[in-house]
Amino acid sequence: MNELPRRRADVAVIGAGIVGLCLAGLLAQRGRDVVLIDAGGSAASTANAGSLHVQMQSRFMRLFPERVAGFEQQLPLYPKAVEYWREFERAIGGDFEMKVSGGLMIAETPEQFEFLVIKSRRERELGLSVELLERADLARIAPYLGPAALGAELCADEGKLNPLKCNAQVRAWAVRMGVTIVDRCKVEYLHAGHPGFTLTTILGTLDARQVAVAAGPGARALMNTAGAYLPVDPEPLHMNITEAAPPLILHLVQHAERSITLKQLATGQVVIGGGWPAKLAPGSDYPVVDPASMIGNVSLAQFMVPALAQLQIIRTWAGLNSKVDGRGVLGEWPGVPDLYAAIPGDAGYTLGPLTACLVADLMTDRDPGVDMRPYSPMRLQHETLRAMAAQ
Amino acid sequence: MTQTIPIEFEGTTLHARPGETLAAALIAHGVQDFRTTVSGQPRGVFCGMGVCQDCLVEVDGVANRRACMTKVEKPLTVRRGAFGRPLTVPPSSSGAGASGAFPGVREPEIREPELLVIGAGPGGLSAALFARRAGINVTVLDERSHAGGQYYKQLGVSGQGVLPADAQHRRGAALIEAALGAGVEIIADALVWGAFEPKEFIATVRGRSVRFRPAACIVATGAYERGWQVPGWTLPGVMTTGAAQTLWRTSRRLPGRRVLIAGNGPLNLQLAAELLSGGASVAAVVEAAPAPGLASLGSLLTMGLAAPSLVAEGIGYQRAVKRHGVHVVNGTVIEAIEKTAGGLSVTLARVSGETLPQRIEVDVVCLGYGFEPANELLRALGCAHDFDARRRQLATRRDDAGLTSIAGVYALGDCTGLGGAKAALAEGVVVGAAVAAMLGHAPADSLLRERARAVDELARQRRFQQALWNVYASPLNAPKVRCGDTVVCRCEEVTFAQLDAALDEGLSTAGAIKRRTRIGMGRCQGRYCALVLDEIVCERFGRSRDEMSGFAPRVPVKPVSIADLSGHGSDS
Repeated sequence: MNELPRRRADVAVIGAGIVGLCLAGLLAQRGRDVVLIDAGGSAASTANAGSLHVQMQSRFMRLFPERVAGFEQQLPLYPKAVEYWREFERAIGGDFEMKVSGGLMIAETPEQFEFLVIKSRRERELGLSVELLERADLARIAPYLGPAALGAELCADEGKLNPLKCNAQVRAWAVRMGVTIVDRCKVEYLHAGHPGFTLTTILGTLDARQVAVAAGPGARALMNTAGAYLPVDPEPLHMNITEAAPPLILHLVQHAERSITLKQLATGQVVIGGGWPAKLAPGSDYPVVDPASMIGNVSLAQFMVPALAQLQIIRTWAGLNSKVDGRGVLGEWPGVPDLYAAIPGDAGYTLGPLTACLVADLMTDRDPGVDMRPYSPMRLQHETLRAMAAQ
Repeated sequence: MTQTIPIEFEGTTLHARPGETLAAALIAHGVQDFRTTVSGQPRGVFCGMGVCQDCLVEVDGVANRRACMTKVEKPLTVRRGAFGRPLTVPPSSSGAGASGAFPGVREPEIREPELLVIGAGPGGLSAALFARRAGINVTVLDERSHAGGQYYKQLGVSGQGVLPADAQHRRGAALIEAALGAGVEIIADALVWGAFEPKEFIATVRGRSVRFRPAACIVATGAYERGWQVPGWTLPGVMTTGAAQTLWRTSRRLPGRRVLIAGNGPLNLQLAAELLSGGASVAAVVEAAPAPGLASLGSLLTMGLAAPSLVAEGIGYQRAVKRHGVHVVNGTVIEAIEKTAGGLSVTLARVSGETLPQRIEVDVVCLGYGFEPANELLRALGCAHDFDARRRQLATRRDDAGLTSIAGVYALGDCTGLGGAKAALAEGVVVGAAVAAMLGHAPADSLLRERARAVDELARQRRFQQALWNVYASPLNAPKVRCGDTVVCRCEEVTFAQLDAALDEGLSTAGAIKRRTRIGMGRCQGRYCALVLDEIVCERFGRSRDEMSGFAPRVPVKPVSIADLSGHGSDS
């Protein structure tokens, strides 16, 4: 493609990951004329490993203790998000190989178990349904675990899906809804006219009445061109997948103290990830595999599920997680009418369709039915002003 | 009588020769089906060299072992590979005692040889030998249990009724001996599965991962054969020419009784001669190139002048084939293969398109339709590659001394683009000398003279290769029909029709189609389908192929078990 297929649209959505696809499709379904633009390359959704997270991930709590408060504010969205995935799958007539068969966070020491006790208490206060399992109960429901597992926190709402299938099916649905998708097109500038916007892309300019930025870690630079401060950072993460094996691991498995997610897809492959770091290629924002993470991640997986020993890793890859402050950034930008941020926050793939729907509601003047204040970009506006005042 | 080793296979006892591969032992006992795929299709030996991952069997309770890479040294219990058999937990594989918290990651050993050579074929060995003689400390890694590579593949069996080693074996043995004698360290059974910037390699050696951080490295990983994606090409009994040759040259086993050999290039004729010497019945050699005519005279003359010994070998193979009354059918390719009660039934077509009426009934079909460079490690490191349109492959960008676009990383031989074993031998000397100079070891005068001779020899071999491929130029280098239910991706069982559907959805890159259809996501890492997909996508969108147009390189470049990665396997 040498130039944009369109020069004008009601809405331009930037970023064709799970959020952008859902948002564009929903807006088109509501009668808007939508162009969805994607830069290609190291998109987060294409590298996603398909976990559906609900309980607080010990990894975030350990690595980013200052964000726990923010994360807690977002927690109620997670069970809703998994439920919405189910609705969405039905609504678009898809098959995402989705399984909500529960998620376990494993403890190997009494200290780790105590951590889960406290965590689960807080989660219940915040409305999650979680339970604690002692060794015998755990062994009964998860016989694949190794002898070191002495207890776990079970969250029945957690699960997994096949992100490759999802991405493809949601994309096909968005096209059916009438979305014009432009691939491999980087948006370089976002110029706010009054009213509307002009997007300068590598394939020419596009005028749009509304703009939604769903570009994950790419959103920071883009919003900056419109004078908006959106502190979203890329977190390069490592993932592994094995050859297909017969059904073994029912749950989404995590660890109370160590970084790991472990699950088996409906097609038999075991996906091992959960936050081991990848590197950014020198001088780029492209994530590349770090062999130490590969060895470390699968060593831990084997320790937790000994039957994995003889399975072969057939592929590893690196992707980018998007981090802000523990919460998503969802809504219209203060002072820039009709510019919307659609950054779901941690475990963004789980939150993708639901947050897209919430933003679509805001963009079409519908009531999202959720208190959106905790996710409003207003809090960042405040920081921008503070930063300006300090100068 | 020669001692044999018992193999318990699916309830019967087979008798293997010590030192042969498990694949050879099974095939010698008439076993063609080695496993069934997820969709229930039978598969057998295809590449015979550890690339295609189709001969996976269960060995002593461990699933998914490559029969072609498993040497029989002790009694084994073997079952066909089957999807859906529950995984077992090998003893002491969890990496800790009965309980207790995760003890942490076992850090792999780190080794820092001056020079690391990957691949113990003619090129790698020759470079290693020269560098060692110039005073460098050299470690060579090879995935096979014997050094020698695909050209010098060493005979693993001996005894009564077993044809002894031939001249090609002996030349290889002498080179291996010379390298070892000079003090080169050769580590066999070393699977190099990862390459990381700037020049680190990780290998699995006897159940442990080892990180190699050499001062310089030479990648000499050779090539593997391309697929020929026609109906039936995944059937058991259909294998590459190289696979059949490996059965014969390493284990002195025939791939089957009645054999059809088809492809493009001189190796097919050599295989025919070798299998005939072992008592096989060769139905025909089906060659895509037209019969050499007057127009080839110039090239034939060049070949004769550049490498008379190779021409003599070629004439020898031709005579042997003729003596047995085997026809070489030129200008013809395989169009389809079908399974019948009695074996395989093969349909041929002229390269002009016309399907031949008669079918050929055989037990085994050998496909030798050219080679693909094994450049995965070079690509994973980020070495620059250029597309060679004539050979439909990526060629590693290098200077005259084999230096790639990355400092300290050298490459030679067929992994950089095809050149043949003799060229690789000469290139090894040239590259070995360059590495020696780079590492500050000035070679002695006698070595410099050797290098000068190698430069001349390399030029001669390149002239030979050029002329050879002029003679073997084929107007058809891929099956004419690329649509329908024919499988493109052996591992994930993706068909041409599925690719067409993905393209019709508007997907426009190899990566997007991979994620959509799973093509190239299986165990072989896209080694057979990547080229085909890249060609289809580029043709459809009017792009030219380059190092960015196909699949991105990924580690591991070959499957590696979790136990081998963690170092907590059943062996350790």
